[in-house]
Amino acid sequence: MLLGVDVGGTHTDAVVIGDGGVLAFAKVVTRHDHLLSSVHEAIEKVIENISPEEISRVNLSTTLTTNAIIENKIEDVCVIVSAGPGIDPGYYTMGKHFYNVDGEIDHRGSEIVLIDVKEVERVVKKSHKDGVRVFAAVTKFCTRNPLHENIIKDRIADQADFVTMGHLLSGQLNFPRRIATAYFNSAVWRLYNDFADAIKSSIESHGITGDIHVLKADGGTIPMEYSRKTPVESILSGPAASVMGIVGLCNISGDSIILDIGGTSTDIAVFADGAPLVEREGIELNANPTLVRALKTSSIGIGGDSAIHLQDNRISVGPSRLGPAMADGGSIPTLIDALNYTGHSSYGDIDKSRAGIESMQAKSSMDAKTIARSAIDYSVTMIYNEVQRIVESINQRPVYTIHELLSGKKVEPGHLYIMGGPANAMESLLSEKFNMQTEVPEHFRVANAIGAALARTTVEIELFADTEHCKLVIPNINVMKKISIDYTLDRAKQDAIEMLRDHLHTIGINEDENDVEILDSSSFNMVRGFETTGQNIRVRCQVKPGVMHRYRDILKQC
Amino acid sequence: MLKAKNKLGIVFFPAFDWAISPTHPEREERLLYTQDQLNEEGIFDIDGIVEYKPDVATVEDIDRTHFCFPDVDHVTTESHLISAGGAIKSAKLVLDGEMDRSFALVRPPGHHAMKVVHGARGFCNINIEAVMIEYIREHYNVKKIAVVDTDCHHGDGTQDIYWHDPDVLYISMHQDGRTLYPGSGFMQETGGPNALGKTINIPLPPTTGDEGFNYVIDNVVMPILKDFNADIVINSAGQDNHYSDPITNMNFSAQGYARLNDHLNPDIAVLEGGYSIKGALPYINLGIVLAMAGVDYSYVREPDYKYKDLKQDPRITKYLKKMSEQVLRIYFKDSKDDTGKLMPGNYDVRKKEIYYDTDGIRESQIESIMVCEDCRGVLKIETMSSVNPLCLGVEIPINACERCISEGYRILNDGIEKERFTHVQLIDRVKKKYQRY
Repeated sequence: MLLGVDVGGTHTDAVVIGDGGVLAFAKVVTRHDHLLSSVHEAIEKVIENISPEEISRVNLSTTLTTNAIIENKIEDVCVIVSAGPGIDPGYYTMGKHFYNVDGEIDHRGSEIVLIDVKEVERVVKKSHKDGVRVFAAVTKFCTRNPLHENIIKDRIADQADFVTMGHLLSGQLNFPRRIATAYFNSAVWRLYNDFADAIKSSIESHGITGDIHVLKADGGTIPMEYSRKTPVESILSGPAASVMGIVGLCNISGDSIILDIGGTSTDIAVFADGAPLVEREGIELNANPTLVRALKTSSIGIGGDSAIHLQDNRISVGPSRLGPAMADGGSIPTLIDALNYTGHSSYGDIDKSRAGIESMQAKSSMDAKTIARSAIDYSVTMIYNEVQRIVESINQRPVYTIHELLSGKKVEPGHLYIMGGPANAMESLLSEKFNMQTEVPEHFRVANAIGAALARTTVEIELFADTEHCKLVIPNINVMKKISIDYTLDRAKQDAIEMLRDHLHTIGINEDENDVEILDSSSFNMVRGFETTGQNIRVRCQVKPGVMHRYRDILKQC
Repeated sequence: MLKAKNKLGIVFFPAFDWAISPTHPEREERLLYTQDQLNEEGIFDIDGIVEYKPDVATVEDIDRTHFCFPDVDHVTTESHLISAGGAIKSAKLVLDGEMDRSFALVRPPGHHAMKVVHGARGFCNINIEAVMIEYIREHYNVKKIAVVDTDCHHGDGTQDIYWHDPDVLYISMHQDGRTLYPGSGFMQETGGPNALGKTINIPLPPTTGDEGFNYVIDNVVMPILKDFNADIVINSAGQDNHYSDPITNMNFSAQGYARLNDHLNPDIAVLEGGYSIKGALPYINLGIVLAMAGVDYSYVREPDYKYKDLKQDPRITKYLKKMSEQVLRIYFKDSKDDTGKLMPGNYDVRKKEIYYDTDGIRESQIESIMVCEDCRGVLKIETMSSVNPLCLGVEIPINACERCISEGYRILNDGIEKERFTHVQLIDRVKKKYQRY
């Protein structure tokens, strides 16, 4: 059996899924000042009639790190970077203890200027004296050659409780994102580890002995023990939980759109060929782009509780929420009230909804019916336009080969999956506007917890091989090895898959269901003068986001 | 987070699956390290810098610009249509107001492709800037365009295409033709009878460095641009003036390129040559991108940059000063002098022998332009080459006068009737008619 827990902004949801489908679910109020107790309580409730020893795996999606960063309740970090030529790294300063030291590695991973060890030691000493105990070491092109980051870490030695090294976060090139990601990682390290300790004993206290995993923003999980070194990967996992829930609940095939219509906003996700699309670079947190992989989702300020505005005889909805719907005892009419008025829903106190919409007639030349209808049309159109915009941007994303440009696949969604409070009420309206088949899955109210429960481990790696230098690097799983000059792209692809599998075993993932796929691969002739001097090989490979195979077909209701 | 002062669109298309041949300088690897550098610098996260996908140019876009014999399909591949489409896309971004500036980082290049195309010369098949310029003039209300070509090789193709066009100012600064391919681009080459002074050549001696380039930009190019008062300024951004370029002999640096773009302030830049793909291009392109976006570029330099090795010889500084005065005199004075110009209504004729080094083709052509005071003049080109028998091209220019329109159709019909030509192509910019006979 699987236990999934999703700590959300308002509620913490938990489900238990077994061979019989959803066996139990529970919803408790989230206490932001004490997330642990919310998780504890939700688990307690959900396993009331379940034997805890049958739970083989617990997947947890939490807002702990996200909130800590957004609210700036994070630990001071000493960030040591070295950059070489390019943009002044001073523009990417994070925190109060940011130091740029001499040292230079170029795009091929060649060491151009040695790292200034003396300066590193001086900076470490100073920061230690300033009371800083967590560090981040980030150098430009470390993903091609992590030498300088390793040297910095050596010099920090026991002066720190923890050091984040940039190359272990991602194989992707992007120095500013790497700086921000490494900074956040160290800044939440202690908080996260304390939480992990507490969660572990809380779960054990329930008699659950299964493995504990943590949900990531890309809709995958990592073992909690392993995530202790990369806590930043747990940020912003909430939207991914819901999306993965839909994957568990519906047979998604082909290109599709997922709408999660909440109280204040609608989250939009896009699927291509039945799999959720992953953001090309990484997710943004607190206006800082990071290297944390995430599902491509977009949010628009239209939800059930979005207030209806009337200005110059024109109706608009959202993005503000001025309290609950009048059907729920609020004082300003919202989208839900409009849906109640037109008969699309019958939620809460319908009379209050009617009264609210009718009260707007006084300030307008429209009758109540037109007002309600306009509010609904406005909302549906806003959602529709945002979906169009996202699909367009996906199809316009740059490609780099003639083959892809001329015969590249376009995303053309033909299916719409809707969840969230007003899902049933809006289904027919959205179906008409999008001119697509729509589906509302049965258990959508706990789709987030189901998604958390079913998500499987994801990892992405980037292999970089240079046969002229006889070097191979896979930065984020810490692989560096010598290769022969006749190393080929085919070998690289095999190696990437093999080393990714090995990595999964090392971190304790032994299910043989991990679909490893090559995302892209290329090999370039390197030429000096008119002689080929070697191959420059790149392979990107991943375990793609998905749900555990064993449970995949149990829940399909759509 | 960094914010761009000018919104900059970058059309990046490295054509990772196309090469002239596996070890040719124009190969798959060419923009690989540039892409790595731009990605590692997080360029596309800078607020105001956006990456775009190229358009694909249509056959009509090429037919509007070139006489291709026997036709467009025979002298281009998909890669050329995409690279020209990349230039078109970057023009649209600026002219539609979506971006303030744009940079087409595309390959293969184009500035050696002339009005007539029988094949590839100087790694170029079609002239991507010219295709872009003609697209602009067809679709937008833009009259005057200036092209500043900073590639190390003289842009003889672009010069040829705009030789007779008074509305396109072509300024080329390049390594002196006595020392480098294609061996042209001397100061005396100043444009045809209807466009005298609208071609300006600034041949620079080998080993000219940052100091010299920036001197010429500030003291020659800028005053001429100011006088011409173009609606749009385009930089043909070749990067082979770099001190590490394997096929040229100049001493220009990434900082120099960035400063040049900062001063020139072009609306659109289009990549041309540049083959020091590891040691120069990543840094030059980074410098150009930052300069165009109005972002601090002061930390951009090459890993092996040493100022004292690149300091310009004082004799070159002196030579450039003198030459600059000469160029200014040519533009502001000599070109206004029309002594020797034929009377309107007569054809001015040039005979040209053209060698296509990349494809090994030889071409002979007779180019006749109508000397006209009312329009750019009808253009007639008779051409034959080692791959095509005698062909005829007739162009009726934008805003052609009545006489030149009817003269154009007279030559065309005459050419068709006499059956002397294997291929005949008409470019009628007035009726937007592009046809082959």
